Formats: sequence, structure tokens, C-alpha cells
Amino acid sequence: MNPTLFPWMIAVPLGVSPLVYLVGRLGVGLNFRFRFAQALALLALLATWAVFALSLGQFTAQKAILPFGLEMIWLTADGLSFLLAAMVLGLGTFAVLFSGPYIAGEIGEEKYYAMLLAIMGIMIGLGCANDLFNLWVWFEAMAVSSYLLVAFYRERSASLEAGMKYLVQSAIGSVLVLLGISLVLGQFGTLDMDKIRALAATSAAGGLGLALAGALFIIGFGVKVAFVPLHTWLPDAHSQAPSGISAMLSGVVIEAGLVAMLRALSTLGGFSISWGVLLLVFGALNMFFGNFMALRQTQIKRMLAYSSLSHIGYILIGLGITLFNGEPAGAQGAAFHLFNHMLMKGLAFFAVGALMFALLDKNGIHRPLEIGDLAGAARKYPLAALTLSIALLALGGLPPLAGFMSKWQIFVAGFQGSNAWLMGLAIFAAFNSVLSLAYYAPLVNMLYRRKVSVVVEQGASIPVSMSIPLVALAAAIVAIGLWPALMNGLTEPAALAFLGMFGK
Amino acid sequence: MTLTILNAVLFSVVLLLAVGFYGLLITRNLIKIVVVLQTLVKAAIMALVLAGNTSGNPGLGQSAAATVLVADTVVAVVALALAVQVRRRAGTLDIARISTLRG
Repeated sequence: MNPTLFPWMIAVPLGVSPLVYLVGRLGVGLNFRFRFAQALALLALLATWAVFALSLGQFTAQKAILPFGLEMIWLTADGLSFLLAAMVLGLGTFAVLFSGPYIAGEIGEEKYYAMLLAIMGIMIGLGCANDLFNLWVWFEAMAVSSYLLVAFYRERSASLEAGMKYLVQSAIGSVLVLLGISLVLGQFGTLDMDKIRALAATSAAGGLGLALAGALFIIGFGVKVAFVPLHTWLPDAHSQAPSGISAMLSGVVIEAGLVAMLRALSTLGGFSISWGVLLLVFGALNMFFGNFMALRQTQIKRMLAYSSLSHIGYILIGLGITLFNGEPAGAQGAAFHLFNHMLMKGLAFFAVGALMFALLDKNGIHRPLEIGDLAGAARKYPLAALTLSIALLALGGLPPLAGFMSKWQIFVAGFQGSNAWLMGLAIFAAFNSVLSLAYYAPLVNMLYRRKVSVVVEQGASIPVSMSIPLVALAAAIVAIGLWPALMNGLTEPAALAFLGMFGK
Repeated sequence: MTLTILNAVLFSVVLLLAVGFYGLLITRNLIKIVVVLQTLVKAAIMALVLAGNTSGNPGLGQSAAATVLVADTVVAVVALALAVQVRRRAGTLDIARISTLRG
């Protein structure tokens, strides 16, 4: 029997993170030109990738959940954990690579890579947590590190305001989650998720307490996932953070919150249909409101932030369909869309960040990038404009790209079993997808078909290390769009893990 | 409902939550918001200890409560550090006067 490898996916980034800080500190003190902190962070991520590949191999060979326990820490790796780990590593590696020139010379540059590495380890850990309280601790640790990364530009008051807003709303959410956990603990006397699941499935009594705990979980974690009435921190945080962090927040952090919510809800048992209905309602609300608000934005990063809301909506619809009819198709579509959204939104934020860096930051202008600033940018920045257009069109769900494939899976799942409500929702989702093109298409038009603006004419060039993530992510979006079966190895186990969690 | 110790703890949890949420509604000063958040977390900590006791597993509830204390202190430190920076940049702690991000 081979030793269990997957805890090293968590231990390596978390363990190297303080070292990265020390090395960065020394580098700043001695004024090195070479970014040692970034190089060390990348090395650690390469090691984590190796562990990921090995433990994924172990997982597929054993076809069973891998357990691990150390004192009070209980971890299990199932399909959902591996999906989240793949997303975190996939985007995180590029975020570290991308951030090199972007944050060079900022105050606290050495802390940035350390925090980024730490939050990645924490999110992989969150995906593996198998104890309700452990789950909360991972969740809170993720929240604290993301507050610091959002408020990274501490000399800009807008960035501080966004960080503060995020902190206060998230902190209230985590108090509600704690109250939910104490309700569960008071009822069952244990925090082990498997035991709670077994107890909740057998005991008919205490339905009210469990329903209340579920509501608290939905509201509490819902702040982090940006369920619509609880989303107000999101556009501010995403637009004010450094672009690498915006990509991480939108592509992975809110999804990690969603995984935490699903894990917590799944233990409560007996209500899976009603949770499904709730997810569908929030999904519809998020889709429509996100698209509607995105239409009105003039700042690009704010527009992308609102579009994250609508994409969370599609994912919720997929999950809700599975909870409603018990078929794995919806959850598999949702898992696929989770992964694709990471690629697409990550690429969009990286491309916008690269343009923002070249057009504004490099010239000492610190203001948000407006849509009008990008007029004719394709002539001077063909690569950034092409990759941004690929990301936007994929987000809008144009056929040969990745975003279409996963949305299509969700729509098809809605039509299985011919329930009129689900079919209606799938049509509503498709309608929303068309609506979203109303704000993606004008931006592409702006890039290619307008006269070159003054800002673009004065812009600096984009460094190579920023272009590598753009090309790689764009290639992944096209490849997955052409061969969607590539992702089945990750999405199928994730959908099965999801069904297993909810006891189907 | 007689006044046993458990009931008294339950009552104080509800009271702290009520004070906390009321405080959130009326407070506009950032430092006071941090204090109010602390009040809410203290309610959750008492709820955890109470839940551990009523379910016959007091050690679990108490160890969870101690962990929450640590995590919560970290959040408070970060929040206060942000508040200090806000005061330095904007010259005020009133959230109504520093708010620029809308829509």
C-alpha cells in the first residue's frame, strides 16, 4: 500500500509560503534585480503539481475516497477535492507568473507571493476538509488571506474601501456559519461530516434545527459565493484588487466558497430536494442580476466582476438540476463550467490586467480601465486583444469555445426527465447567455474596429512573462472547446462525489 | 422556562446577537464596526460551548471555541490595520464619507 500523498498538496504550498516571504524580504533588502520570491513560489508550485499528478493517479487507481487524519485534522480527497485542486493550481501558477512585472516595485511585493502561495494551499485544504469545524477554519483562513490581497494597494483609498467592505461582509457570514455549526453540534454531538450525514439520514426528529442550520449555511457561505442579495462586496473587491488577484478571486476563491457550502449542506440530509430548489432560485437570480448589472458598467474589471455573478448562476443551476432529479448530468456540467469559468475569467482578468499595466500603470496613471480606453487596441497589442476576445466570446458561450460546451451540458441536463420547470429554467439560462453577448460583443468591437485612442497610442509594451499566461490559457480554452471529452477525467468523479455527498 | 445555567447562556447568546446586529445597523465608525463584529463572534463562541455541553461532548465544543478565538483575533487585527490605513488616507473613519465605490 502506497503512502497517502494528497496531504502534501496542502503542505508544500503552506510550508514554502513563509520561506518565500523571507527570501523576498532579503531580496528587497539587498536590492536584487532578479525576483527570487517569485522563482521560489513557482518552484513550490511545480512540486505541488507533481504531487497532484501522483495522487490523482492513486485516486483513479483505487476508485475510492482517500482518507487522512492527523490529530484534529480530518481530510479526505474525493472527486470534488481534485477538481478544486486542479483549478487552484492551474490558475495560481499563471497568477504567480503574471504578477512578476505587474506588482514589481509596489510596497509589500515580498508579502504578495507568500500570501498567494498560502491561499492556494488553504483552498486545496478546504476542498479536502471532512470535518465541519475544520471546514470553517479553512474557510476563515482563506477569507483572511484574501482580505489582505484585496487591500494590497494600501496607499489607494478605493482599494482599502473594497478590502474593508469585503472583510465586514465576510466576517458576518462566517459568524452565521458558526451558529449553524453549533446547531449541528448541539443536535448530534459530533462534527465529523460522515457521522453527521449518517445520523441526519436516520433521525426523523429535529428537522427544524437542521433546516435552520441549512439556512445559516446558505446565507453565511453565500456571502463568499456572492449569492445575489449578498453580493455587494464582489464588484468592488474584484475591480480594486491587483489583476492577478482579481483572476484568483473570480476564478477560484468564490468557487471554493461554493464547495464549502455544498459540503456543509450535504451533511444535513433529508432536504436535498428543497436545497436543490433554493440553488435553482439563487441561480436564476444571479444569472439575471449579474447580466443586467454588467450591461450598465463602463469599467472593464467591474463588468467582468458582474459577469462572475451570472456564471455562478449557471453553475448553481447545474447543481440544482442534479439535486432535483438525481441524475449526475447537471452536476457534471456544473463541474465542467466551474473549470471553464476558471480558465475564461482568469484569462479575461489577465488580459485586461496586462492592458491596464501597459496603458495606465506603466505611465504612472492609477485609475480603473474604462471600456473606451481600449479603442483600437488590437492594432498595437494584437496578442492581448486576441486573447481577451477569445476569453470574452467563450464567456458569452460562442460555439467552438470551452464556455459553450459546459453551458450546453447544463442546458441538456435541464431537458432530461422533461420537468417543465427545469426546461423553463434551461431556456431562461440560454436566453441569459445570449443577453450576455450584449456586453461582451461591444468590447470586442471596440478592440478591433475603432480608431486608436490616445491612451493606446501612449501605451508601453507588454512584458513577455505576462504574455505566456495569456497564450497558454487561450490555447486551453480553444482545446477544451474542440475536445470537451478531455475534461471527463476530472468532471465525472466530481459529479459522482457530489451525488455521493448528498446520498444519492 | 426556569433559569438554569444553560438557559442563561442561551439567553446571553441571543442578547449578544441582537446587540451585534443592531450595532451593525446604526454604526458608521470603522473602529466601532470592528467592536460590533467582535460582539457577534463572541455570541457564536458561546453558542459553540453551549452546543458542546448540551450534546454531551463538552471538550469538542470548547476546543472549537478556543480555535474560533484565535481566528477571530486575526480578523480583528487585519480589520484594525485596514482601519488605520483608511484613517491615514482618507482622514476620517466615517464609512459614509469614505465611500466612493458604487453601482
